[in-house]
Amino acid sequence: MSDPASSPLSPPVPVSRLQTSRRLFSTLEGVFHEEVFFLILSVFIGIFSGLAVVCFRLAIDWMHLALLGPLPQTHGWRLFAVPSLAGLAVAVLVLHVFPGIRGSGVNQTKAALYIFNGFIPFRTAIGKFICAALAIGSGQSLGPEDPSLQIGASIASALGRQLEISREKLRLMAPVGAAAGLAAAFNAPISAVLFVIEEVIGRWSAGILGSVVLSAVSSVVIVRWFLGSEPLFRIPVTTFKRPTELIAYAVLGIVGGLASVAFAKSIGYLRPLLKSLPRWTQYFQPALAGLLVGLIAFLGFPQIMGAGYDAMDQAMHGQYAWKVLAILAVLKIVATTLSFVSGTPGGMFAPTLFIGAMLGGAVGDIERFYFPHLTGSTGTYVLVGMGVLFAGFLRVPMTSVFMVLEVSGNYEIIVPVIVANTFSYLVSRGLQSIPLFDMLTRQDGLILPSLEEDREETILRVEDAMLPVPATILSAQDYVDANARRVHDSADSTFLVRMHPSGWSTVSRDQLQRFFQEGKGELTLASVLPVQSLPSLYPDLPLDSALRYVNDYSLVPVVNRANSRQLEGVISRDSVFKKYGSRRALEVPTSS
Amino acid sequence: MSWTLPKLIPRSAPILLLVLTLAAAAGFAGVSHLVARFTANQQARGRKLFARGLAAAGVARYDDAIAAFRAALTCDPTNSQYQLSLARALRDSNDPRRLDEAESYLIALWQRSPQDAAVNLALARVAAHRGSIEDATRYYHNAMYGVWNSDPDTNRNKARIELIQFLLKKGAPANAESELMALATSLPPDPESHLQAAQLFEQAQDHPGALAQYREVLHLDPANSAALAGAGQAAYSSGNYGTAQRYLEAAVNANPQDANSRQLLATADLILRTNPFHSHISDAERNRRITAAFTQAEKRLTECSQQTSANLNAQSPASPLSSLQSRWTAAKPDLARLHSPAETDLPDSIMDVVFQIEQQTSTACGQPQGLDLALLLISQKREVASQ
Repeated sequence: MSDPASSPLSPPVPVSRLQTSRRLFSTLEGVFHEEVFFLILSVFIGIFSGLAVVCFRLAIDWMHLALLGPLPQTHGWRLFAVPSLAGLAVAVLVLHVFPGIRGSGVNQTKAALYIFNGFIPFRTAIGKFICAALAIGSGQSLGPEDPSLQIGASIASALGRQLEISREKLRLMAPVGAAAGLAAAFNAPISAVLFVIEEVIGRWSAGILGSVVLSAVSSVVIVRWFLGSEPLFRIPVTTFKRPTELIAYAVLGIVGGLASVAFAKSIGYLRPLLKSLPRWTQYFQPALAGLLVGLIAFLGFPQIMGAGYDAMDQAMHGQYAWKVLAILAVLKIVATTLSFVSGTPGGMFAPTLFIGAMLGGAVGDIERFYFPHLTGSTGTYVLVGMGVLFAGFLRVPMTSVFMVLEVSGNYEIIVPVIVANTFSYLVSRGLQSIPLFDMLTRQDGLILPSLEEDREETILRVEDAMLPVPATILSAQDYVDANARRVHDSADSTFLVRMHPSGWSTVSRDQLQRFFQEGKGELTLASVLPVQSLPSLYPDLPLDSALRYVNDYSLVPVVNRANSRQLEGVISRDSVFKKYGSRRALEVPTSS
Repeated sequence: MSWTLPKLIPRSAPILLLVLTLAAAAGFAGVSHLVARFTANQQARGRKLFARGLAAAGVARYDDAIAAFRAALTCDPTNSQYQLSLARALRDSNDPRRLDEAESYLIALWQRSPQDAAVNLALARVAAHRGSIEDATRYYHNAMYGVWNSDPDTNRNKARIELIQFLLKKGAPANAESELMALATSLPPDPESHLQAAQLFEQAQDHPGALAQYREVLHLDPANSAALAGAGQAAYSSGNYGTAQRYLEAAVNANPQDANSRQLLATADLILRTNPFHSHISDAERNRRITAAFTQAEKRLTECSQQTSANLNAQSPASPLSSLQSRWTAAKPDLARLHSPAETDLPDSIMDVVFQIEQQTSTACGQPQGLDLALLLISQKREVASQ
């Protein structure tokens, strides 16, 4: 077939269309510069992560039905046989086929962002999908949220590599995918975005926020499309009437904080201990954990198996007496610790919610027994308890508040949630200085940035290193000889010059001398100064920002934000380094 | 393990986005297929579990039923039939802790379709379990005026009957009576329904209402022995002894084993034979009845005094039985003047003494029998008539 454009009989229209298409294409190329492309890519990451999480959830359900059956009372011996055998299979897969998929996946995603330039092997997504589905479906006491996070991050990383985006953007792909995976697993986009900022990125960064939000929202849309928009729990009526009841919630926060510390410390102690055992034992650790979890279930507490959302739902509706709730909380801590430290891939989110829910219900029931005037229902305490453990154990205070609000869809309990979570967070931070995820990364030999460290770090500001306003300030409008006379008796070698109509500059004693000798004494200082204007600093800026200037300028003016002509002080290289030096001297004894 | 995008595809943004769109569409289609198959399997499994739950609930094994319904719901979480059945099983399990969960399921269903009569009825029953008259009445009314999937009139009447029974049980007869009046106007021409309504009227102490319903039954089924007995009893309780006698005679004829009707009939006969205020008797007959009643009253007074182990003579003049004896003795000479046409008030004053004796002895010595019972009932009827 001949090219119609080259045929003398063909009309000229197709040629025109081709040209139009090319022009359109090149216009599109221009529109899709990297920033825009990255935003659009975030939506696709959300879609792909959402699809993957839908499949992951189906896989867990399918595994559970295939291995344990639909009815709890018909499980029998399978309760401990299935998790043991599945644990054995998972161990073989983790040790031989998918190394690096142990644990929750939050740390690995964070490490990808800060150490491996956003690189997460796609094999991780596949391994996490298979092994976590097998482990959770067989009843190991772990949840699907953190693996979903890692699957999302892994998909995003693989996509970024394939599309050959810049290294800077590739590094950001992991948290974007992580937000999508977590949002899809929780059906809660706000909590996912906040968690990724608090825990994965570890700092507030406006640059990536848009992409994280887009990916989280698009993945939630996908999950709701396929699995419906039903919330994780049927939320009961929650009430908060009297401000005095906040004391009851504060007590719940304290109890939750203590439980969080116990939970975190048990993981912190057992994980390195089990990892230090001979390699051959790692084949049996998940199986042994599965056996013990199954035995707990067999002995009358099957609620602790798997993620446990059904049990949380029942606790929320007052199905358990406080003693049962307390026992379930303790057993879930034991079961989750065993499952997690054994290296079985799976998440901590759902178990954390479970423990918090049971603890909240138990504490609430006890409080209402002794103080019958308390109006909060069991469901209210269960919901608040979930947030309490989230704040205390995972140490993500913002996420913990929004997670409860998003899951419950009820803003009436925001005050109890904030109060209880704050107490839990403070108790946990007071008794355990290093948050769980930081502790896990340090155990793995990595040191990653943490928002909690940032929060606690004292930031040095310009005002801390600022010198007082100099006694002699020259005016650029004055003649050189007049200025030279003014500095004659001063001991300083460099002087600040006020420019007209605004701005600042500097001049040295030697420079003034030279201008005078060159016969420029009758000229204004402004006309002979080589540098017309100095950068200004403000007192509240971080001291780091002064470092950009102190090498080039011997004095940098610090001015008032409301009136740039009003001098607050000056910064010099010596004053900055002196301040950093004094701070290091203070920090050395602490760190040693 | 790694995969690479074919290098044939140029690395230009529009083309990459096109490839991504196609990949997303393919993934969407694939996952749709997967979800559809999984959902179909789950729904089939859910139906089996639901059937198992229904069977367990049918024989009151509620724990098994709840487990089965819960498992069915995990297979098909949005199925409102499963939710409703689980809520019913939770409610019927007689565990107060489960009522909250039942209610939460039902409220979720109610929020989805507030006009659903079955959901409202289930919520009404939860409220009835809790003993909340206000909530139960509201939900029962919602059920009555809601949408039923089948046989709405029968279901509405059943819901109203359930509400009436609940109100009677909670000691709210006034509320129950207003519901009964509404029920009476909406009953189908069916003897069973009218019979049930009549019994509810009886429970609400509305004997004329009950009698009307029994008459409806007899209109539809003249040989209905239960209705005959009920009508007789209702007429008897409302003091309409002539009507009671008619119905009770028919009831005894229809069912000779009916001892209660037979006993009531005997009393009704006695009342009709001994009532001195009956309108169609002669003066002589009236005087004879008054004399017999007066004599019987004295006998009852003596027996009661002996029963309470008290000697009339030893009693203080202030004691009630002693003062009754005094009144009886004082009234005895009046019997001789009964025949005098001038003494028009005398029958009433003599019978007042008789009635007081019967009433006070029934309080002191328990329910009388025979003629004493007849005189007591006549006195009660006279009191009601005079009010």
